[in-house]
Amino acid sequence: MTTAAETLVPRSRPRAAARAWAFVKRHALTVYALLVCAYLMLPIAVVILFSFNDPAGRFNYVWEGFTFDNWIEWDSVLGLRDAVVRSLEIGLLATLVATVLGTLMAMGIVRYHFLGRGASNVLVFLPMSTPEIVLGASLLTLFLNTTAVFQLGFWTIFIAHVMFIVSFIVVTVKARLIGFDRHLEEAAMDLGANEWTTFRKVTLPLLAPAMLAAALLGFALSIDDFVITYFNAGGTQTFPVFVWGIARVSVPPQVNVVASAIFLIAIGLALGNVLWQYRSAKRTQGAT
Amino acid sequence: MGSFFHRHRGLTPYLLLAPGLAWLAIFFLIPLGFLGYQSLQSGVFPNFEFTWEFANFTDALSTYREHLLRSFLYAAIATVACLVLAYPLVYWIAFKAGPWRNLFLLFIVAPFFVTYLIRTLAWLNILADEGPVVGFLRGIHVLDEDGRLLATTFAVVSGITYNFFPFMALPLYVSLEQIDPRLLEAAKDLYASSTQAFLRVTLPLSAPGIVAGTLLTFIPAAGDFINAALLGTPKQAMIGNVIQAKFLESLDYPTAASLSFILMATILVALLVYARIVGTEKLTG
Amino acid sequence: MNPRMTRDELLRRGAAGTALLAFPSLLAACGGGGGGGGEDELKDVLNFANWPLYIDVDEKTKTHPTLEEFTKQTGITVNYFEEINANAEYFAKVQGPLSQGQGIDRDIFVFTDNSRFPGLLVNEGWVEKLNKDLIPNMVNLVDAQASPPFDPNRDYSLPWQSGMTGIAWNEDLTGPVTSIEQLLEDPKLKGKMTMLTEMADSVGLVMLQAGDDPTAVTDETFNKAIATVQAAVDSGQIRRFTGNDYAQPLTNGDLAAALAWSGDIVQLLSSNPKLKWAIPEAGGMIWTDNMLIPQEGSAATASTYMNSVYDPAVAAQIAAYVNYVTPVKGAKEELAKTDPETASNPLIFPDDETLAQVSQFDSAALDNDEYITLWQGVLGQ
Repeated sequence: MTTAAETLVPRSRPRAAARAWAFVKRHALTVYALLVCAYLMLPIAVVILFSFNDPAGRFNYVWEGFTFDNWIEWDSVLGLRDAVVRSLEIGLLATLVATVLGTLMAMGIVRYHFLGRGASNVLVFLPMSTPEIVLGASLLTLFLNTTAVFQLGFWTIFIAHVMFIVSFIVVTVKARLIGFDRHLEEAAMDLGANEWTTFRKVTLPLLAPAMLAAALLGFALSIDDFVITYFNAGGTQTFPVFVWGIARVSVPPQVNVVASAIFLIAIGLALGNVLWQYRSAKRTQGAT
Repeated sequence: MGSFFHRHRGLTPYLLLAPGLAWLAIFFLIPLGFLGYQSLQSGVFPNFEFTWEFANFTDALSTYREHLLRSFLYAAIATVACLVLAYPLVYWIAFKAGPWRNLFLLFIVAPFFVTYLIRTLAWLNILADEGPVVGFLRGIHVLDEDGRLLATTFAVVSGITYNFFPFMALPLYVSLEQIDPRLLEAAKDLYASSTQAFLRVTLPLSAPGIVAGTLLTFIPAAGDFINAALLGTPKQAMIGNVIQAKFLESLDYPTAASLSFILMATILVALLVYARIVGTEKLTG
Repeated sequence: MNPRMTRDELLRRGAAGTALLAFPSLLAACGGGGGGGGEDELKDVLNFANWPLYIDVDEKTKTHPTLEEFTKQTGITVNYFEEINANAEYFAKVQGPLSQGQGIDRDIFVFTDNSRFPGLLVNEGWVEKLNKDLIPNMVNLVDAQASPPFDPNRDYSLPWQSGMTGIAWNEDLTGPVTSIEQLLEDPKLKGKMTMLTEMADSVGLVMLQAGDDPTAVTDETFNKAIATVQAAVDSGQIRRFTGNDYAQPLTNGDLAAALAWSGDIVQLLSSNPKLKWAIPEAGGMIWTDNMLIPQEGSAATASTYMNSVYDPAVAAQIAAYVNYVTPVKGAKEELAKTDPETASNPLIFPDDETLAQVSQFDSAALDNDEYITLWQGVLGQ
């Protein structure tokens, strides 16, 4: 789409070079994005690769040979399956609760001016700035002094995870709320919707991508947490605790299998999501 | 329900915040209280006594000042690196990726699914002295003949950057995603070049995301210890390593506690300075 | 050959002073570990916390044959938890409940005697006494382990396995590394060697090199050793300090040499025959993982289990898989009957000459806060 201004500027460069440069400019960003993704995926690729390794001894460092055995007998390592299930359960539950709590807090802090707002902000930031070992150990002290209520295990891990995830949720959702266009909500209310309906039908859907991104971050944090979990788990094992333990000797390929499987399933779901969106877009196109 | 909130408008923020704050109050503030109590104790494990031992703080600060500074330096470098690396990627995802955006968001978060330790072990494999990456760098003379990437400051900072990348990328995405593309079209209509449109429209609108991402990356990075432990030498030890050692090896809980408070306090100070520079509006909304 | 012991025989043997045990029905009534320490009652479940890969495993069935055998003979089910990965970490976890007078729902846990923790646990009274009447096999304990400094009468602990600390090197990258001096000064090893984070191992070996005695540490000898290591850190000779994560870099060429533990090396060799291990010329260190009974654990049940471990046949089975040094007399001979090759491995069954070359670190020094702070300073923290 040329404007009047553009047609008045003389073409001084040869067309081919200009076109080549335009091509590069147009695709440079895509290439860059793909390169960064490759960088992010590089260790995962190594992990997936070594899940197919057939190590001679206990150590899975050197490529010996290709085998599917590890994938077939993935839960042959004692405790691995339980640890994975535990991690997923806690992850989902803690993320759910933390996202709800965090979103509510973000809305309160961003949209209202009230007494204690600054203090609330600080309180939300504090867990992030506390070293994990300190968070873990001090929370353990609380649980030990209240054994009537809290027994170390699944629920104490859950509590600990919600505690340290919620700050990240708040900060992430806040970033979205700060630029939020209130006019849409005002328009809805002008049209007769009360505050709750507005929230449900206007605010929430617009907030959903941010909440999803925050939840994703929260889930990742929960799944990956070692230090805080270690102190507050009692005898229960989550996946990172299990891995840290067995890595002291050697990481069996089955651990790689589990890690790869989680990753591949997640990718599969995301790809499915893409396909589904594509299909429904096509359908609406076809319908018109 | 809507009318309830309407009538009790003043209550609303408190109601919204109550559950979350209660959770933090019970499971963070109270333990923190124990920690504070511990930081003013003295004695030898397990017979600590509360003696208002403020000397714990001054001693710790003077002994481990270097570690604190080093931690902040590494965290700052890693945060900037994350920002520079992540911004173009996230921009692309928000504006150009179309239906693929959720997939690429997943790529950003996916490393967390393979747990910290396994990722780091994989990097140890990739960056090994006799591995392809180092070999290539030696070949083009970026590294000496017996140069290495592991057990260096570079490795530690790179590790921090890699591990905290999603913390920067996701908040950035969140604020870029909500920018209305029509604003950019409008800018172009007003004769702005792509660069100008970016600098005058996109960048300012993504500021909350930049601030959020910076905080979410810098703060935990400053307290990290795993990267320094696995990828560095004793010369790269961060304050997190000191706290860890005081707690686990020395059983010196008062010093560990006071160092934790010092870390928190310095981060809060840095936060306040940052807020001043950036303008509190973007920080708190 | 060990007589097949039925539960009744065990109970009869332990009858002195424990008449209650002869009546299983009374046991059921007594229930779990309530107040007053579970010293007297034999339970039917044993909760055993240990380090990973530290007991025999049947690869096919994923069970532990010696534990199964124990259950068959005594009726006691063993819940085996491989939850200890480092002394300090595990201690930090359990010191909470223990310091409050609570138990940790375990009957046996295992700590290394070249850390401060076994001594600390005994001194604080956070461990139960063994019921020696139930451990007649204790006579099979090797003489060298009869009276460790932290538990001179063996009232609270029994060794599980021992290990030696020496120098491992990669033949492809360097000639034999035979002394700590070479390790610290050979320019070819600069930046390609590691020492251990364990103070007892690293400082102990350096002391031996200097001609000092690690079994009786003084301020002077300690400071001298610290200075030596610090110099090597400053010059970049030492790449890093490791736990047992020296295995990967040693295999893939990041390291030419490292301080390493004997059991690891036996296992590493199957992956890489280029790796060698030896006790340094000036001497090596030896350490022992000890079984202890945490507060509120069942001393009777734990002691019964410990007794089974000190049966040479059982000890042989465990040693064959674990590849560390067994503390049970007669295990070597038992193993020689079925697996002469492993039985003649000097790393698993060191002869007296080898044992004379290794020392134990002064346990008082292990608990010395100043020393610990100095050592952590060398580690950078």
